[in-house]
Order: sequence, then C-alpha cells, then structure tokens
Amino acid sequence: MITIRAKNGLDMNIPGQPDGPASRLMDMERVGLSPASFPHIRPKLLVKVGDKVRQGSILFADKRNPDIGFASPGGGTVESIDYGPRRAINAITIRVDREEAREDRGVLDRHQLAVLSRDALARHLMAGGLWPLIRSLPFRDIADPAFTPPAIIINLDTLDPFHAEPALYLDGSAGAFLFGLDALKRLAPAVYIVACRKEDTLPPEIRGLVTHRVRGRFPADDPGVFLYYTRASAAANRCWYIHGRDVVLLGKFLSSGVYPVKRLVSVSSPNGSRHVLSRLGAPLALLAPEVRNHDTHVTIAGGLWRGQVAGPNDYLGLYDAALTLLPAGNQPEFLGFLRPGRRKPSHWRAFLSALHNDPLALDAGRHGEERACVNCGSCAAVCPVDILPQFTLKSVLAGEIEEALAHGLLDCVECGLCAYVCPSKIELTFLLRQARESYYREQQAVGERP
Amino acid sequence: MKAVRKIFDAGRRHFQPGGRLALLAPLFAAMETFFFIPGETSRRQPFIRDSLDLKRFMSVVILALAPPLLFGIYNTGYQASRTAGLPPDFLSVTARGLWIVMPLIIVSYGVGFFWEMLFAAIRRHPISEGFLVTGLLFPLTLPPTIPLWQAALGISFGVVIGKEIFGGTGRNIFNPALTGRAFLFFAYPARMSGDPVWVARLTPGVDAVTGATPLGLAALSQVGQKIETILAGSDFSFFRMLIGHHAGSIGETSALCCLAGAVILIATGVGSFRIIAGGILGVLATGGLLNLFAGPAAQPWFGLNPFYHLVMGGFAFGIVYMATDPVSAPGLEPAKWVYGFCIGALTVLIRVFNPAYPEGVMLSILFMNLFSPLLDHVGIALRLKKRIPNV
Repeated sequence: MITIRAKNGLDMNIPGQPDGPASRLMDMERVGLSPASFPHIRPKLLVKVGDKVRQGSILFADKRNPDIGFASPGGGTVESIDYGPRRAINAITIRVDREEAREDRGVLDRHQLAVLSRDALARHLMAGGLWPLIRSLPFRDIADPAFTPPAIIINLDTLDPFHAEPALYLDGSAGAFLFGLDALKRLAPAVYIVACRKEDTLPPEIRGLVTHRVRGRFPADDPGVFLYYTRASAAANRCWYIHGRDVVLLGKFLSSGVYPVKRLVSVSSPNGSRHVLSRLGAPLALLAPEVRNHDTHVTIAGGLWRGQVAGPNDYLGLYDAALTLLPAGNQPEFLGFLRPGRRKPSHWRAFLSALHNDPLALDAGRHGEERACVNCGSCAAVCPVDILPQFTLKSVLAGEIEEALAHGLLDCVECGLCAYVCPSKIELTFLLRQARESYYREQQAVGERP
Repeated sequence: MKAVRKIFDAGRRHFQPGGRLALLAPLFAAMETFFFIPGETSRRQPFIRDSLDLKRFMSVVILALAPPLLFGIYNTGYQASRTAGLPPDFLSVTARGLWIVMPLIIVSYGVGFFWEMLFAAIRRHPISEGFLVTGLLFPLTLPPTIPLWQAALGISFGVVIGKEIFGGTGRNIFNPALTGRAFLFFAYPARMSGDPVWVARLTPGVDAVTGATPLGLAALSQVGQKIETILAGSDFSFFRMLIGHHAGSIGETSALCCLAGAVILIATGVGSFRIIAGGILGVLATGGLLNLFAGPAAQPWFGLNPFYHLVMGGFAFGIVYMATDPVSAPGLEPAKWVYGFCIGALTVLIRVFNPAYPEGVMLSILFMNLFSPLLDHVGIALRLKKRIPNV
C-alpha cells in the first residue's frame, strides 16, 4: 500500500455529524429523477406522462451517446415531467405502484462475468442505467465507453462533512463490492482503491485490497487530488473514477439483474443529524421536512462543499449521499466586522474563534461583500492541487485560456475551498468551473475527445 | 441597532437610482455596510463562506497600526513640548500630540475619501476598505511639521496616481500611501528632510527647532569616525532607538511598536511573515557584508552594526506596514522572501551609498513594488516547469 500525504486542504470542526444506526424510509408515493443533476449530458426523453415504467426502465438517454441510459428509480406511472427555462427537463416524477414492477436485466455470476467481453459488459451497464456511476476526469463527465482509461480510481471515503463512513455502506455488502470491483477490472488496465481514513473499520476482505492511502484534509478524498499526487505523466490525466458505495451498487446490479435503488443518506440539519436508509429518487421534503422552509434554510444535496442547492420539490439524485441543511444566514449583522467573533468559523486567525477548537455552526451567509482581489494568497494556500487560483482566475478573466490551462485549470477539483477562504468573496470556484465548462464545450464542438 | 437600521431604511430612497443623491450611492452603501454586514445567502458553490471579509481584514491592519499610532501621538507631543519648554506630563503631552497629529489624520482621511468617493461614483463600484489603511498609514509617515495642504496634496497623489488610475484597489502596482509620501519627498524636499522638520512648533513665532534623527546624525559622519559613537554622543543608544523616544516621522520612530504591530499581523495571518523576516534578513546580511569592507579609511557607514539599521529611521515601519501590503507585494510565497530580502538589502545600500537620501526604505519598497510582478512571473514559470500538464 502506498501512502500519499496531501498538502493544503481544510478541515473544519462542524457540529452535528450524523451518528448511530440508520432509520428506514423506503415507502413513498412518488419518486423522481432530474436530468439536471447529471453533468454535461443532453437528455433525450424516452417516456411521456402516463407511461407505465418499471424500476430500472430507461427514462431518458444521453443524446451524445444514446446507449447510455438513465434508469427509473421506481416502478409505476410517469405522473409529470417538469420543464424549466429553455425546455430543460427539471424532473420526471413517477407515482409508485403498490407492487412495483422491476426490470430484470439478467443475473451474472463470477464465471459469466469473466468471459463477457469488455464491450458487452459496458453495454450491459449502460442498458441497466448503472453506467452514469462511472465518471471521467478531468471534467467529471460520465465515462465514454469507447475509451479505455489508464486506470479507474475507487474512493472509499468522502471527507466532505456529514457523509457516512465506508464501514457503514460496506456493512454486509463486501461481496457486492468485490463483484463490482471484478467488473471494473474488465474496463480498465488498472484499478486503484483509495482510502483516506483509518482502514481498520473496513471489512477485512476489502482492507487488504486498498492500494493507496491518502492522508490529508478535505478534499484529500477526491480522485482528482489522488491523481495529482500519483500521476507520473500526462498520459494518466484521463482516469475514470467511481465511489466505493457505487461499486457496491454495480455488484448488486450484476449479481441480481435488478436496478438497485436503496441508498444510505446522511441528513444533517440544525435540528439534528441522522443516517436514513432510503431510496434513490426520494423526495427531499420527505427526507428532511425543513427543506420546505427554504427562506430560512438552504438545502444542499450531495455534500456541504460540492453539493448543489436543492428545493422542496427536488429528489435524491444518483450521486447524492448527503443532504445538508444550513441556516440561510440572511440576517444583517450589526457592526459585524468589529465583533471579537468567538463563535465565528473562519480559516483565518482574525477572530477569537482561532483560540479554541470547539465545533462551530456554519450558515450559508456570504459574510461580506464582493471586493477586488487583494492578492492575499489564501486561495493558493488551501488549494489541494497547487493551482494558484488568484493567477489562474486572472488569466481566465483576461481570456488567456492557454495560460489558465498551463496553470492547472483542468486539475481543479472544484472543491470550493478557494471561494470559501476568499476575504474578497470572489466566486473563484464558480468562475473557474465556468471556464472549464466552456473549454469542454469548445473541445466537443471541434470533435476532440476532451 | 434598530434605530440605526431605521435611519438607513429612511434614507435609502434618496440614494437609489433616480433619487436626489443617487451619485452618492457608494457613500451610502459604504456607511450602511459599515454598520451592517449585509445578510446575503451565497448563491454559488460552495454555499458556505468564511466569516472574514475585507472589512475585517483591513480592521486587523488598523488594529496593528494602533501601537505606532498611539506612541506616535504621545512622542510627537513630547518632542514638541520638550523643545518648547512645556511641562512633559503624560496627559498634556498626549493632548498636544493629538493637537498636532489629528489634523493630519483628518485631512488625510477627508481628502483621500473625497477621491475614493469620486472614483467610486464615476465607476459605480463600491468604496474599498483598503482606503481605511492607506488614509492612516500616510500621515504616520510624515514629519509632524508638514503643512496640511501638503498632506492633502500627498494623499491626493497617492490615491489618484498611486491607485485609482490603475483601476482602484487590487490593481495598483505601488503602495498608495508610500506613493503619496514619495511625491511629497521629491516635490517639497525641504519639508520632508533635513533637521528642522522633525519637531512640531507649538509656539508661533519661534524659529524652527531642530531635532536630529539618528539617520540625519549618521549622515554627518566623517571618515575615521564611528557612527555608533556619534549616535551615543547624542544620547541615541540602541535601546532608545528601539523604543523610539526621539524626533522623526510621526509613526515610524518606534521599532518596538512596529514589532508589536508585526506580531498582530503575523498572528492573524493578515501580514506575511515571509516579507518581514526576509526584510530583516536582508538588512542583516547586507549590513554584515558591508562590515567586511569596513576599515579605518572607509566610510563609517560600512562599519555600522547591522542591527542599528533595523531600529534607525523608518525601516521597521516600512517593512511591517508598507512592504506587507498584499496588493503591491508578490503573491507567491518564495517570491515574498526574495521581495522582503531585496527591500532590506536595498534599504541598507541606499543608506550607505546614497547620502542624498538617508532614508532608504521608502525608495526600496517602491522599487521592489515595481519588481513584484516580475518576481511572481519567475516564480510561476518555475512552478509550471515542475507541473505535469493537463490539457
């Protein structure tokens, strides 16, 4: 096992980490799927309102590669399809039947898996709706099945706060994990299993398989950070990655032929945090009733740092394992900048809170106004992949995309730390991501593989 | 708190587009955000943000400026009282110091704020907190006898030419406060150098009183003399220069107070310890190197104990408060060491080799301001060489 020490990053002591056994929440009238929760895809709808669907039926495909299907999180009737601006599909809602019908994609055993060709395996996963779990660096796009990546990175941990530890999602699923791992080994010449926290809580049969240990603060768990520290040449840049909990899903799907919808979600809100055993596509308002008060709360689906803001009408997405509710932080603070700040969370030492290490509650407030960059260098000090965000952003804003790329724009893991620490409240993460996306679109337009 | 809120809510309509005072909207926004940090939810990823904003950032610098400011007020009053033969008790000395220093600060803030406001109104951008620091740094670098109109001219030059024509805070290449001081230094040399300017006159009609500064005395040294002896002869022991109880620019005499400020800046992370440490290293290394060439026939400056350079003149003030200005300093950490070191080295070299400017720190900081983009450029090029490309 190779140990990597990741520099920089940030760990915060945040109260309310979920703990204890998961409560069960499986029965619901409706489930939904939002195409907008998948990066870069151009959805082509395959169902209409009133259609009968099974759990695992393909609801829509990606126009860029129509073989990649996105499966229904429930069996029942398509109740509504909500469109947003410019006819973008916001969500497809399915009213769940009492007796849910399931799509049966056929059971594979270890021997059948071993003789299946790589193409056939990929097609099986695409048709089953599992392929979107495998994603590719650096754009975090859904993996291109026609391309053989240098390696697949499996991250067991999530250091983004409030996420369940691997021991919890691997509990009783080690066999499925190993089966999923076998499948992944067919797709790429190398598969790395990366652990960040103590490995001794892992099931013994998996503990021995861990190839790399990354020690460090958030986001040391990110496959991009792992790649930054391990790659020896530019040839390794286009690795694929998948989270450990999704490897379990692959294994379950391959061994049962049924689209797995069961999900362990960490719900954390100021009123208390808990693990919930629920299902893909669950209405967020059911998982956490506070979601409805979206004037006083901000709901982040998918983790505190990397998640997306979700509303009361949204559903649990394919990549979401955590639901975080924060106070909106929209109250003006009287003479806020003069306060000693004993309870103010900050990366800086300019508040009294620097003198103690007690957990400090966060909110979603911006805590100040946007100002010009004063080149304080705090963004570069936390950047996990040693980009100099302040200079990279300047080259982006000046339209010097080549220079930004040389700075490492594509190495950016979009962890959000640079924007968090910026005292000028510059939207560094957003602007860098925008630049990455426009570069991605340019590459697609000229037909190059990004 | 609610009363303050009411005042702003009542006045807001005048400052909104179409209102009578719409042009002054940046002023209104600056006042309002001074009292209330706006309660806004962040709209972009990540949805959490650090509690520190630029207002707090700059307030830390103001806090760090408190020791030299307070000591400067006392010391200015003390020096003036002593030469005017007035009683040197603490309260009256401080009151006289306030009487001399406050008008300068008020003029500096008032005039500088006018320019900030003007540019903010024309450009429709918010007033930057950076000016709170510039407006206080500038008067502290001036001799107490400076006429107020010159101070007004200096801060105008500093803000307009040193900052706003480059595009405002964050885009300036020179430290605005130092730019203003440099302007006065070259435009009105008689008011900014020589012996008669360092002690304020309290009684009108009395001729200028001379208060020699350590640097001024050292500049008079002849071949064969030892600067330490000359200084000691005028009661400038190392310890006294460290405390700063002597004539000089208002805020810069006390290296000890600057050290206290440096501790605040470094402890909060607002000031770069690399620049400060680099500067001190630069002074000691260059001073030590020159010591090797010292001999009976050499200039006395060559033989000066390098530690004296740290406490003489404005080096301590310059390296702690001016050189650490993040905007005009380089952004890369290795470059900060080089930047600080060069400031220290140049300060000593200017003092030793250029008797026309006994104070070298101002020029060396401005000179290195000019080079900080180059230092960053070289630093980035070296970093990128090591990076495995990802295109």
